[in-house]
Amino acid sequence: MRALVNILKYTVPILWILLLFIGTRDPISFFLSILAFYSIYLLLSISLNLEYGFTGIPNFGKVMFYAGGAFVTGALSSRLIAPFIGISWKYLEKFKTYNVIVSTQVSRFFMQRPDVGVSIFVLMLLLGVLIGAFLGLIASYPAIRLREDYLGITLIASGELLRIIARNYDPLIAGTYGVMVPDPFYWLSGISHEIFRVGVMMSIAASTWIIVELLIKSPFGRMIRAIRDNELAAEALGKDVVKVRMKVLMIGSSIAAIAGVLYAFYLGSVQPDDFMPIKSFIVWVMVILGGAGNNKGAALGALLYLSIDRTIITLKNYLLVPFDVNNLAYIIIGCLFILVLMYRPEGLIPEKSGESIIKLSPKLLSKVKKNYNKSL
Amino acid sequence: MFSLDVILDALIFSNMISLMAIGLTLTYQTLKVPNFAHGDLVTLGAYAVLFLYKTFNVNPYLALPLAFLIPAFFSLLTYLLIYKPLSDRGASIVVLMIASIAVEIILRNMLHIFADVMRNLQKTYYRSLILREKNILLGGFSIPPVAISSTLTTIFVASIIYLFLTKTKLGVAMRASIENPGLASVLGIDVNKVYSISWFIAGGLAGLAGLFLPYRMPADPEIGWGLLLKVFSASILGGLDNIFGAIAGGYIIGNVEYLGINLLSRPPINLSTSYRPALPLIAMILALLFVPKGITSINMRKIKKWLRRQ
Repeated sequence: MRALVNILKYTVPILWILLLFIGTRDPISFFLSILAFYSIYLLLSISLNLEYGFTGIPNFGKVMFYAGGAFVTGALSSRLIAPFIGISWKYLEKFKTYNVIVSTQVSRFFMQRPDVGVSIFVLMLLLGVLIGAFLGLIASYPAIRLREDYLGITLIASGELLRIIARNYDPLIAGTYGVMVPDPFYWLSGISHEIFRVGVMMSIAASTWIIVELLIKSPFGRMIRAIRDNELAAEALGKDVVKVRMKVLMIGSSIAAIAGVLYAFYLGSVQPDDFMPIKSFIVWVMVILGGAGNNKGAALGALLYLSIDRTIITLKNYLLVPFDVNNLAYIIIGCLFILVLMYRPEGLIPEKSGESIIKLSPKLLSKVKKNYNKSL
Repeated sequence: MFSLDVILDALIFSNMISLMAIGLTLTYQTLKVPNFAHGDLVTLGAYAVLFLYKTFNVNPYLALPLAFLIPAFFSLLTYLLIYKPLSDRGASIVVLMIASIAVEIILRNMLHIFADVMRNLQKTYYRSLILREKNILLGGFSIPPVAISSTLTTIFVASIIYLFLTKTKLGVAMRASIENPGLASVLGIDVNKVYSISWFIAGGLAGLAGLFLPYRMPADPEIGWGLLLKVFSASILGGLDNIFGAIAGGYIIGNVEYLGINLLSRPPINLSTSYRPALPLIAMILALLFVPKGITSINMRKIKKWLRRQ
C-alpha cells in the first residue's frame, strides 16, 4: 500500500503535466518552458529548504534574494559589454529609453562572438552569487538577533524596500517599465537555441541539487540539523550557532540569486513588479507541500506547484467566467495549503527522522525498546 | 512649515493606521502571531462600504455598522476555523504565520473576484475607487469632514477600549488571559472566548479604518499588503504589547510618512515622492534593530540621566 502511494506521489503530477499537452499547440516548446520554470522553482525551493527545512531559519523574504539576482542581470548584462562594441554613449546615458536598442545590439554582437555571450552569462551567474551572498549577509544581521515573527516582517519589508527602490530609481533597471536583457545564446537559432538554453538551466539546477545534497550529508549538514532541533544543545557542544546561520543564509541566498539570474535571462526582461511578496509565499507553498527537511520533498513541491500553475494557465483559454482565473487559482492554492498545514504538516514526503549513525536491526531494536520499557 | 493640507493628510492617515494597529496588537497578543491578513480586512471593510454606496446609494457613514461587522466576522471565522485548530495541534509560530499569509492571499483574491463580478453586473468601475465629499469651513479653514470623523472615531475607540480593558470584568479577563493563559483558565476564564472577542474586535477596527480609506486613497483589492507593512511598522514601534503604544506608533508612522516625504522632497534632497511607501519600512527596520521592544520600552529616566551627564 505504502509503495503504491509512493509511486502515485511522483506519477500523478507528471501525468498531470502530460495531460496538459493535449491542450497545447506547440508541445515541444511547452515542454521546454515547463522544464525551464521547473529548474527556477527547484532552485528556489532547495534554497528555502536549506534555510527553513534544515536550519530552521524562517525566511519570509525569499523574493529579495531572487530579485537581487534578476536586478543585477538586468542592470549589468548589456551595459557591461555595450561600451566595447561601439554603442554610442548617448544610448547608455538614457538607458531607460534606449535599453531595448542596446540589448538588441548586444544580442547581435553575441551572434558573431558566442564566447563573449557565454562568458557574460557565466559572469552574471558569478555576480548573482556574490550579490546573493552579500544580501544574505545583510539579512543575517536581523536573522540572528530577532525572533521568528519579527524576522519574517523585517525580511518581507526589506524585500519590498528593494522593489520600491528598483521601481523608482531609474538608472538601476529603468524603473517601472523594466529592462531588456540580451540573449547570451543568440548564436543558436530555432529549436536548438531553446533546447540548449533549457539544458543549461536544468544542469545548473541539477548540479545545485547535488551540491546541496552533499552539503547536507556532510558534517556541516548534521550540524545545521542539530541547531534546528536544539539550539542550546548545539551551542553547548561548541558549535558557533551565529556563524553557521550566517553561512546558511549566505548559501541559500546565493542559490536564490542564481534562480533570479536564470529567470532574467530566460524571460529576456526584468520588471520590478514581478517580485511581489507573493513570490516568497509561493516558495513556501512548494517547500511545505512537498515536505520540509528533505530535498526530494522540495523537488516534488516545486513540481506540484508548477502543475497547478500550468493547469490554470491552460484552463484560462477554455473557462468562460466573468473574472480572472488566476485569482481563483490563488484561492485554491491557499485553501489547499491550509489543509496541508492542518492535516499533513510534515508534507507529502516527510523528513526521515532518526537517521542514526549505527543502524540497528529490527530485532535488536525491539529488544532495546523492551528493555527501555522495563526500566521505566 | 507644512501647509494645512499636508498636516490634515498626515492626521487622517495616522488615525487609520492607529485603528489598524490597535487591532493588530490585540490579535498579536492572543496567539503571539502577526496576522498578515490584517491589511486585507481593511480592504474588506472598504469594499463593504463601497458596495452599499454603489448599489443602494447609502451614505458611507451610515454604513459604519456593516463596515465594522463584516471584517469582524471574517476575522472571527479565520480564528475559529484556522488559527485555533492549528495552534491546538501545536503548530509553531512560523506555521501560523504562513497560514495567515495564505488567508491573506485567499481574501485578496476573493476581493478581486468580487470586484470583477460586480463590475460586470453593475457596469461600473470597482477598482481604484475614491469617495469625494465637500470640505466644510471651520474657523476660517476649509477642512475635509473625514479629518474630523476619523479623529473622533479614533479617540472614541481608544477611550472605549481603555474603559473596556480596565473597568469591565471581560476586559480584565482579557488582559489576564493574554498575560498568562494557563493561569487564567485555571481561574475559570474561558480563554478561547476571550481570544475570539479579541479577533472580532480587531477585525472590526480594521473595517472602521477601511471606512475612511476610500476618502484618501484609491480602494483596490491590492492595497492590503502595502497597508499591512505600515501597520506592522506602527505596531512594532508601539512594542506589540500595548494598545496605547500601538496608537502612538500609528501617529508616528503616519507623520513620518506624510510629513517626512514632504520634507525630503524639498530642495536640499529632492527625493522623488514615489519613495513614500519606503519611509515606514525604513522606520520599522531601524526600530527593530535599535528599540526592538518598542517606544514604550524606552526608559526616560536613563535618557534624562544621560542628558544630565552631558
